[in-house]
Amino acid sequence: MTTLAQPSQPVQSRASRQRELWRRFRKTWPGYLFISPAGLLITVFSYIAIIFSLYISFHQYDIISEARPFEGLENYTRALSDKLVRISFRNTFIYVIVIVPSITIISLLLAVLGNQVRRGRALFRTVFFIPTITPIVVTSMLWVWLYEPTGGINRLLEMINIEGPNWLFNPATALPAIMIMTIWGAVGYYMIIFLAGLAEIPEVFYEAAKVDGAGRWHTFWNITIPLLRNSLIFAFVTLTIAAFQVFTQVFIMTQGGPMNSTQTVQMVVYHYAFQRFEMGYASAISWLLFGVIFFFSALQLKLFISRELY
Amino acid sequence: MARTLSDPGGGAREQNRLLLVATRRSFTIIVYALLIALAFSMIFPYLWMLANSFKSRTDFFTNPYSVIPMPPTLSTYYDALTIGRMGVYLGNSILYAAAVLIVQLLIDSLAAYSFARVDFPGREALFLAVLATLMLPGSVTLIPTFLIAHGLGLTNTFTGVVLPGFAGAFGIFLLRQFFLNIPRELEDAARIDGSGFFGTYWRIMLPLAKPAMVTLGVFIFLNEWSSFVWPLIILSDWKKYPVTVGIALFRDVNQINWPAVFAGSTIVSFPIVILFVLAQEYIIGGISLSGLKG
Repeated sequence: MTTLAQPSQPVQSRASRQRELWRRFRKTWPGYLFISPAGLLITVFSYIAIIFSLYISFHQYDIISEARPFEGLENYTRALSDKLVRISFRNTFIYVIVIVPSITIISLLLAVLGNQVRRGRALFRTVFFIPTITPIVVTSMLWVWLYEPTGGINRLLEMINIEGPNWLFNPATALPAIMIMTIWGAVGYYMIIFLAGLAEIPEVFYEAAKVDGAGRWHTFWNITIPLLRNSLIFAFVTLTIAAFQVFTQVFIMTQGGPMNSTQTVQMVVYHYAFQRFEMGYASAISWLLFGVIFFFSALQLKLFISRELY
Repeated sequence: MARTLSDPGGGAREQNRLLLVATRRSFTIIVYALLIALAFSMIFPYLWMLANSFKSRTDFFTNPYSVIPMPPTLSTYYDALTIGRMGVYLGNSILYAAAVLIVQLLIDSLAAYSFARVDFPGREALFLAVLATLMLPGSVTLIPTFLIAHGLGLTNTFTGVVLPGFAGAFGIFLLRQFFLNIPRELEDAARIDGSGFFGTYWRIMLPLAKPAMVTLGVFIFLNEWSSFVWPLIILSDWKKYPVTVGIALFRDVNQINWPAVFAGSTIVSFPIVILFVLAQEYIIGGISLSGLKG
């Protein structure tokens, strides 16, 4: 009798739906138990954290003093006129603009070329992959050594008669030095992404292109690139998000110097939050960074997805 | 057959063919040369690291770029482990990585099983809420996570280091995908035999999910082993530092003890190399998967 819900009578239908829900709940309640440890952690360290971060970005907040007055947009306006913040955003933009296309193009080429060779393919893949799984602290330290005035890089340059600079202590070369090291360390990872994408392209496309007499270049532009679209979008978007938050390399290699030439936004956030304990102000800067990241990710996705030509 | 049919123009065609073969061959040679050069650039810093870690102090300062230590010595390792405190850091790193690995695998797989198989009310919305956290940049959550940990009295404690890593949205997503592809009949059979929710998960699903668990486990371990920023912020006592923060300390002082850095870096890299050799297919497979899904 209870199962015969009558659609013409909304009150009864709602009651029966509630009963149905209750029945489902009684049968499936252990499901909530199973997700509760993960749910609790994610709620605390993601959802409460982000609300908390937004809240303190409107307050003067440090962990020492009890007085935490509301400041409205004060932290945000201060950030916009803070010279250090401005420099860090400029550096970070340069970093992102260089890093993201470089890593994408080089790793794509590595994948395509690596796919062409018959012997040693697995070996190349392994070797290129090593820097990716080494802790960034270790690779950064190794490169600090390579970048010494008489270090490995400058010895290499000497061989072709170029006098290398004091890489990490020269404001003109410190940021490029960090970028080179980061590119070196990341191409292996994205090469794997692209190799997986290449493996998904059916061989028939290439055979058809060969029959039509298409050259290598033509095949690359008209078959490989369009069919790698998903991998390319993934690489571009994830790289952009990560590059905007660059921290560890800079922290190890230059500490933001010389003369703030490698100061990045995340470095400045760290500086204000954990060296000067201005948590509210640092949070405001991190929200500005979040805004920038969000804007560019959305823009990229929109650009890529609207180009539905293939 | 084709040869007998060749007309007077065959000579020219033969020439073209030879030219084509030649360009193809030179292309292959260029590709190999390029790849080998790049491969060397990838491997050489590590060769130097390894070689220098076995050099004596004088050998290092006279021949920092030789690849063969003359004579090889373990004194740098001894220095790094004792004076450089690498022994303490290494023990801490192993502890942190092991704790996060075991607990996160358990918590993620429980949640993933529930999301995949138990049809509780609100399931879709809650799963979306988990996935949405993947979009959050770590930059925004760093400060509040520290303040929350501080509020819970977890600064400078082992728990403080590992607690935020005990659940992972990516892991839940990955394992849920895997559970969804396991045929339901297996669980139904277990259910008929009287297994409850937990029994089915523990005895049927977990053993079946081994490949996915290994893949996720490798990523969790690598992540925790390389983790730097969080332990740097939450810890203030060197006795609790992991190796990553320990190595960074060598850089902190003006005079860098390079031999110790190389020995320390080799020690840190060693478990990773082992893991990579053992689980290469899982690592590559896992990364490939994340790219194809994107």
